[in-house]
Amino acid sequence: MKHYIILTVILPLLVAFLLPTIGRFSYFLARALPPIILIFSIVITACVYNNETAPFALHIGDFVAPQGIVFHVDSISLLMALSVQVFALFLWPRRSFKLQSEQIVSNKRYSLMLLLVASANGLAFSGDLFNLYVFYELLAVATFGLISFDTNEANQARFAAAFRYLVISATGSVMALLGIALVYFLTGTLNFAHLATQQANLFNPIGLSAFALLLVGFGVKAELFPVNSWVPEVYSAASKKLSGYLAGVISKLAVLVIIKALLFIFPHSEAAYLMLGLGLAGLLIGELSAMRSNDFTRMISWSSVAQLGLVFIAFSIPGQAGIIAGLAVLFHHMFVKTALFLIAEKWGGRISDLHGQGYLNLIMSGIFIFVALSLIGLPPLPGFWSKFLLLNGLAGQEYYFAIAIILITTVIEVNYLFRVANHLFSREDKPVLPINNHHWFDTLTASLIVVALIVAVWELPTINDQLIIMSDQLLDIESYVNRVLISTENGL
Amino acid sequence: MNALDLLLLTSLGTVLFSVVFSASLTGRMLLTMLYAVQTVILFQIDAGTEMVSSFGFEIFNHALGLSFNGLSWFFALITLGSAFFAAWYGLNQQQKLLHVGLSANVFSMLVLLSAGDFLSLFIAWELVSWSGVLLMVLGKQESLVATLKYITYAIAGGMAVFAGIILIYSWTGSLAFNAVTENPLSLSQYGTLAILLIGGFSVKMALLPFHLWQAEAYALTSGPASVFLGAISARMGLFAIVITMMHVVDLKTLDSIFLIPELFTFRDFLIWVAALSIILPTYTALRQNDARLLLAWHGIGQGGYMMLGLLMYDQMGSAGGLLHVFNYASCQAILFMSVFSILHRTGTTNLNQLGGLVARMPLSFLAMLVGIIGLAGLPPMNGFVSKWLVYRSLLSDGMAIVFLASVIGTLGTILSVYKLMHNSFLGQLRVEHEHVKEAPWSMTVPMMLLAIIIFITGVMPGISLELVANAQSAIGLTPVDYHLGGVVSANSAISGDLDMIWVVLVLFSGFGIAAILFLSAGKSRRVHQLDNYAGGHFLNANNQYQYSDNFYAGLMHIIKPWYRYSFKWFEGAVVSFVNLAAVFSRSFFNQAHMLIWMLVVVTTVMAVAII
Repeated sequence: MKHYIILTVILPLLVAFLLPTIGRFSYFLARALPPIILIFSIVITACVYNNETAPFALHIGDFVAPQGIVFHVDSISLLMALSVQVFALFLWPRRSFKLQSEQIVSNKRYSLMLLLVASANGLAFSGDLFNLYVFYELLAVATFGLISFDTNEANQARFAAAFRYLVISATGSVMALLGIALVYFLTGTLNFAHLATQQANLFNPIGLSAFALLLVGFGVKAELFPVNSWVPEVYSAASKKLSGYLAGVISKLAVLVIIKALLFIFPHSEAAYLMLGLGLAGLLIGELSAMRSNDFTRMISWSSVAQLGLVFIAFSIPGQAGIIAGLAVLFHHMFVKTALFLIAEKWGGRISDLHGQGYLNLIMSGIFIFVALSLIGLPPLPGFWSKFLLLNGLAGQEYYFAIAIILITTVIEVNYLFRVANHLFSREDKPVLPINNHHWFDTLTASLIVVALIVAVWELPTINDQLIIMSDQLLDIESYVNRVLISTENGL
Repeated sequence: MNALDLLLLTSLGTVLFSVVFSASLTGRMLLTMLYAVQTVILFQIDAGTEMVSSFGFEIFNHALGLSFNGLSWFFALITLGSAFFAAWYGLNQQQKLLHVGLSANVFSMLVLLSAGDFLSLFIAWELVSWSGVLLMVLGKQESLVATLKYITYAIAGGMAVFAGIILIYSWTGSLAFNAVTENPLSLSQYGTLAILLIGGFSVKMALLPFHLWQAEAYALTSGPASVFLGAISARMGLFAIVITMMHVVDLKTLDSIFLIPELFTFRDFLIWVAALSIILPTYTALRQNDARLLLAWHGIGQGGYMMLGLLMYDQMGSAGGLLHVFNYASCQAILFMSVFSILHRTGTTNLNQLGGLVARMPLSFLAMLVGIIGLAGLPPMNGFVSKWLVYRSLLSDGMAIVFLASVIGTLGTILSVYKLMHNSFLGQLRVEHEHVKEAPWSMTVPMMLLAIIIFITGVMPGISLELVANAQSAIGLTPVDYHLGGVVSANSAISGDLDMIWVVLVLFSGFGIAAILFLSAGKSRRVHQLDNYAGGHFLNANNQYQYSDNFYAGLMHIIKPWYRYSFKWFEGAVVSFVNLAAVFSRSFFNQAHMLIWMLVVVTTVMAVAII
């Protein structure tokens, strides 16, 4: 059973490359196939998540670990893969088949989305740095394509945004590659398990430099300060569903890569301080910039930068408290930000243009307020508990400065989010601008997210247990090494 | 299931009921009755003992619980009473959000009052803050602006409280109320907690310098909402401050934290904050020309008396502070009711465009008269008793300067409530108000009932003092020695008992003498208000003989230079600073510089690492 998990990477990848050909024969098959593949891999992932004793290593082709390719599957990677696929299904680009040329664009979009899903799954499962890098590049390429292809009308702003993103992302990749080269130079291996056994070789200034390079390099996708300037531009130019997917899910995979680098390559306080500092700067600058935004999409893009700063702050707390808090903030943000971008699908644009919309579209504005409250951390919504875990972790380390910044930025966050609510329910005597209602499927998705958040409040103890299990698995590096390096008999 | 469970469930049920049924008049009547039912259930709870609710849940290994004691009981009674009268007053209001907001506020406040540990206190605190929004957005566009300001202030306070609670947890390892008392902390830790918790809670209480949001937020919304918010909402801050003093930093600790060595302690600081909170907002109220804002600014000022009384923390002072919560709630509610019935009938609360309404709205006038006597703290209304207790405690503690400050505050109160009544009810009726009618019964009946309550608890303060005594023993103070007519001084060396029954008897015999003189002076003749003259001129409709514009011109000429708007300036400075920081942070992301920044970070880290 557990070997099937590889299909979640291989199948989307295969179909992604076949799709243009299939599309030439039957447009409808090309439309139907990707969701079927996604559902199939969701089922596989869910079954593995439920049935198997979660942490296990897969040696692809039965090659011995440090030389061969290893997939390491644990609760976090399964959950991430599951989120990648489920969110992809719900945020799947809508087809438009009025014109022949649009069908071709749609087909390209479908293959790129599948490529994105495959590479994201690969990122979640890969057990060595080089494969991570390959999947990361694949993911980047898929993203560039998706951003520039995203909707049917040609849009110069989108191409410009995609090009700037390309430049920043490519520079980041070069840095990451340099970091990987340094790691290889110091240890002679790129397998995480093998690296973990050689941490002594890495605990020197060059090792720290390598970590810094990896942090900044992979940080581009993770919206890490200061390599996140592409965020508002790309998110406001691309379609909002894609932006929601990038901000909500894909950025979290990059975070996961960085966390692996922190745990396996340089688990020392210098690295944690670096992450803490950059996270705090990202949080502060993101929230402040969001406050100045007059544009809804840009505002929530900045807010996403800030929230990822929060994630980095959380993971910089040493020990289990940090991992638990980080995961809590991460998964909460995944849901909330996706919902916000779905709202921005029709409401993106000047905030002042939204005045009075709330009375026309009560469901969407209700979802907005609910999600915003959870983002701010109104108890007892999930956002509060994630913040509670985070602040407790920080207080345990006596990072009082960070606590102060987090709480102050929360006030700023309240101010700008509820400025939007004020515009939505404005009572000024101005004509309400005609804005189309959201597509029913988007409304449904956003409502499902709200339901998920409410259910999460009830299931808080279960979630807490799960977080503890995940963090145990993530921190138990010794068993990780044993699984990957010793138990080769489990190979495919 | 005990009475407390029943109370909380009924309150939650009221919220659901209001969501479904508040659209119809019958539904709103039943809703009003539901507040009365909750009050009846409240009386099933014994105020003298602690009652623990069977609700509670465990989260991250913290057991959250709810319980009720005398202090909660006292505040709960005021909350439910305010809600009852506000709901009655709002029977004809069809805004659904008003009724939902009212019931949600009551529910969240009851949860706050029954909070049994710091975490549930914080959760309920945030719920109270956010449900307040529901009541504040009911006015015109200006109420939305005020609400945004409110929620920014409220969350800033809430976050300070959050920080305090996180610190308590990390220092003591527990979130139970006895966490700090069982694990004594260092003096600097107490100081930090005092700043965070008392500072955070006092935002809701609108103590200086966190007071700028309150007047607009409370006044500019719809009438019943203003009545409720003005009466009780801000006092949740006082409740939480009492909880802080009880469980985290007691007054003795506050008195041992010196801000200026050997001279000025944290407690002195708080006392001066309270005293200034009496004076400055009261004199700001004096300058308001909108009756609603005038009242709301008084609300901030009266909060200072309560805080002052509690900070005395003796038998009399704390009794005065707590009793003032009750008395002030009744007076503020009746005043807001009277002002909003004027708004309801004339469409304005601008004090420069009213006058002479006593002839058209006599019941509203009576309500306002009772209310302003109470608010100003004059016998025979209840406000006198609580203020007397606070003064008494200040004097017996030898705090003459603070006493003087609070008397100056009372002077300002008297002046401004007189302005309120004079400009709205007295003087010449304006032509456009010639056909104004008295407010409908749904508004006047609750006003009259409140007037009776204010008078009775003024003449027989023992009724409300019993509740206060329960609250005092719940927070570990010696309860005040009361009887039906007033209090007995515990310290027989200082004479100073109060028996309101005697005071009222003397007062009314004075009135009796005046009445005899008036009646023996012969018959008076009623004339039309324009069939008259003033200053040697005959009057007509265009020639106002009542001046209301630039009221107290002489006084204002003297005290005008004293208004410095320092707090407004400071608020503006903070906003400008944040905006400046935001501009800077945006310019930081200038595209041209990005790659350079990327390189700078990496090379710096590499350089630092290698060096």
